[in-house]
Amino acid sequence: MRGLRRVEHVMGFPVSVRIDDEDVPEAAVDGLFAWLREVDARFSPFRPDSEVSRLDRGEVSEPGPELREVLDLCEEYRIATQGAFDVRLPGRGLDPCAVVKGWSVQRGAELLSAAGARRFCLNAGGDVIASGGPWRVGVRHPEHADRLCTVLDVTDRAVATSARYERGDHILDGRTGRPATGLLSVTVVAPTLTEADTVATAAFALGREGVGWAAARERCEVFAVDADRRVLRSAGFPAAGAEGVAAA
Amino acid sequence: MKRALPVLVLSVAGLIPLWRYAPSQDTGSSSAPAEAAAPASTPSASSSGGATTTVVSGSLVDTEKGPVRVEVTFDGDRIASVRMLRQPDHPQTTAAVPRLIEETLRAQSADIDTVSGATITSDGYRESLQAAIDARG
Repeated sequence: MRGLRRVEHVMGFPVSVRIDDEDVPEAAVDGLFAWLREVDARFSPFRPDSEVSRLDRGEVSEPGPELREVLDLCEEYRIATQGAFDVRLPGRGLDPCAVVKGWSVQRGAELLSAAGARRFCLNAGGDVIASGGPWRVGVRHPEHADRLCTVLDVTDRAVATSARYERGDHILDGRTGRPATGLLSVTVVAPTLTEADTVATAAFALGREGVGWAAARERCEVFAVDADRRVLRSAGFPAAGAEGVAAA
Repeated sequence: MKRALPVLVLSVAGLIPLWRYAPSQDTGSSSAPAEAAAPASTPSASSSGGATTTVVSGSLVDTEKGPVRVEVTFDGDRIASVRMLRQPDHPQTTAAVPRLIEETLRAQSADIDTVSGATITSDGYRESLQAAIDARG
């Protein structure tokens, strides 16, 4: 087997890496997972001693530059969704997880690139960074864990999916404070995972109107299954050709 | 009210990418946060406490693509919502509406490299296709 492969459970989800280049040192993968563990320690709202928890309790007056970057992204998307995407919901602690995940994994991918990796695929809890390519990325069917609802051909792009099937109604519509239920699943393809993941979460929070909202963003393509099991996709969504796709 | 105006202008700048008029209007993640962060830290002149809701109409702002006016609802110092009162009258406005294609939901299997989907918990992961792919090595 050429290249490197590794799966570790970090930040509460499995992260798998496949690097096809032959000359990338194992230390690069060590560095990736060390970074993700550092992010978990610093930015998890579930750890009382994290930077996020201390900021939320008012023990820190100013966030550090990296947390500042994350919080600025959160604010950008809160305004862009008119409050549907909100990491500071009333009665709840600060929870920037939706942005931290994509942002930190994107940074992790940049560590791999800096170590010389060119053709690699990084999958963090179902969010994918495809470097080089083309990579064939299946999108999980919202109702059948062992089936796909579409397959993409992607090169140098990121793919993120937000859905209800895994953790139930965990994404709240900040405008109402109630679970977002308009969509079963929404997948966004974007140049970076920072953008793909945040746009997917924000679109999910917006519900049906989130599909058009995400599709209208520059460089974003979208594939969504709504609560009536209707599929909506943007015209430029990089669905793979029919070959190799078998109806099941 | 004077203090609220810069907030409104910044909000307009933040909303422009929503319509996708021109690539040059796109605010990358490096420039937008600074604009987006400003409203939260700029107190609205007309709100006195956290529970006060204030609705403010912005001035007409000329953009490259036409005049824009927004209405902002403040919940205390926070922007609760931003509504467009006047959108640019520009031919690209219609073209900016994204074309969505409707399809039937299909279940399929295929030869793939990886799977995108919410696989947050390890239970979900175990039953997922990604687990099979990783096991295949």
